Amino acid sequence: MTGNRLRRLFSAIQVALILVATFVMLVPIAWIFLAAFKTHVDVYQLKLFFRPTLENFGTVFDAPFLLGAKLFNSTIVALVTVMLAIPIATMAAYSFSRFHLRGETAMLVTILATQFVPAVIIVLPFFVMFRDIGLLDTRVGLIVVNLAIVMPFAIWMIKGFIDGIPLDTEEAAMVDGSSRVQMIRNIVLPMAAPGILTAGIFCFIIAWNEFLFALILTNKNAVTLPIGLALFKAEEGDLWNLLSAAGIIIMLPMFILALLIRKYFVQGMTMGAVR
Amino acid sequence: MGRAWVRPPRVRDNILKYLLVAPAVVVVAVTAIWPLIEAARLSFTVGRLNRPGSLEQYLGWENYVWAVMEEPAFWNSVWVTAAYTFLTVALTTILALALALLLAPGGRLRSGVQTLLILPFAMSPALIGVSFRFMFNPEFGLFDAFFGALIPPLANVSWLADPILAFAVCIMADVWGWIPFLTLVLIGGLISVPRETLEAAQIDGANGWRVFRDVTLPQLAPVLAVVVILKSIFSLKTFDQIFMLTNGGPGTATQTLSHYIYFNGMKYGQIGFAASVAWLMVIPMIFLTYAYAKLVFRKDQAQ
Repeated sequence: MTGNRLRRLFSAIQVALILVATFVMLVPIAWIFLAAFKTHVDVYQLKLFFRPTLENFGTVFDAPFLLGAKLFNSTIVALVTVMLAIPIATMAAYSFSRFHLRGETAMLVTILATQFVPAVIIVLPFFVMFRDIGLLDTRVGLIVVNLAIVMPFAIWMIKGFIDGIPLDTEEAAMVDGSSRVQMIRNIVLPMAAPGILTAGIFCFIIAWNEFLFALILTNKNAVTLPIGLALFKAEEGDLWNLLSAAGIIIMLPMFILALLIRKYFVQGMTMGAVR
Repeated sequence: MGRAWVRPPRVRDNILKYLLVAPAVVVVAVTAIWPLIEAARLSFTVGRLNRPGSLEQYLGWENYVWAVMEEPAFWNSVWVTAAYTFLTVALTTILALALALLLAPGGRLRSGVQTLLILPFAMSPALIGVSFRFMFNPEFGLFDAFFGALIPPLANVSWLADPILAFAVCIMADVWGWIPFLTLVLIGGLISVPRETLEAAQIDGANGWRVFRDVTLPQLAPVLAVVVILKSIFSLKTFDQIFMLTNGGPGTATQTLSHYIYFNGMKYGQIGFAASVAWLMVIPMIFLTYAYAKLVFRKDQAQ
């Protein structure tokens, strides 16, 4: 009897702890969501009930903030980065997965290692080079540098997916007389498509949230959304209601994308060390 | 699609396999390897952004010597980074492990919370910095109000104006942002602990703590190793949140190495000096990456 009651108490404590943890996790996000719908006046009070307004979402797109241009830059940069990285990564991943290459381990470790290089060391030489060839403050420049952070993830993630495709289908197609390239096109790509799409979304999120490169390599024309946040530091202090509205525009699309590929997030981030 | 496409020439596999990796190797070489080498070169030059020619003016190891011997600010950022890394790794790992143990059994509530865990992780670190500055605003910050009610001396203090409190806020923001991801990783590890082993231990009469210590924890060790190494690497590199939250301040109380390098390279234009500090920072990374690569490849071979 007492054992049973003890167990019930124990599970009640567990549920309580889970709820507290969830609360702590959601509060900063919820706070931004609330503030985005508050007026300038309401935001300066700890109010939970207020008259919501959509005004902030209009203001951030007006001068002088012009968030629309940053939204455009972020979209283009992340999209093109992914569209370049994914085909290149898929080709490499297939080869790493199916063939034995000379120096394969060395290549794979190097690719893994580049992911851990601090972004700040990568950006210094690019700043000098871009200054010399006129690529500073351009979307093209930003895309090139973004490839550095996206490629290792993409290669390792897609390799993981292709590793999971059984070899027999491929062998059967080869026996039927298709060439290797045809076989990759007609058999492997359709089978790996969900994995490739997942890797693409994952890389899109990373490129979208990228901060340090954009901070150093852009200043006006190619500024992306995360850097745009700095616009809302006015002389009279932070414009919290506008910051929050911009924050929602940055994070909401990523929340949706992240939920789509939720199952693969861990695998992607750990490069397959944990599945 | 389909029939219309021209049959490509048959390329022999042992050539094709290198053709397939070639573009990726080129991209990685240009975007990651070249900058490392070029940064190493720059680290041996005078390297002033506003002085043409100084990027080719070599002065040997002087930048390194200067950083290590003459720059208290460098050592300050080393200690800030070390403390920051140690605290965030320890706190995130312990709390994430606790949360993973709570959530691993599954069920509607627990799976629902697991789904929500993805949200903070999809948030841009810069935005996490912003949101914590918001939460700790002395006038209308929610966390400020909460801590003020809990610990009266903390009511209405300027968190980000006090060196120690600002550092604490940075730690909290980091831990908040990383717990969800590490929890998901650890749940993955916990699920793969075989049920039979756990049940056998329970039948043997071991209590919950004993089962955890003698069965779960050893089984979880490889995943814990992944978590600790990965988190250490990301902690060492921390920049985005710090930039948005405190910008290294007050003074240099929260100036991490990445921030110190950014400041010297970009604000003061001393790109040669910044590159030398950046290379000093790569050293611990090499050890961590080596350890991590070993873990990944052991896993690869086991399959």
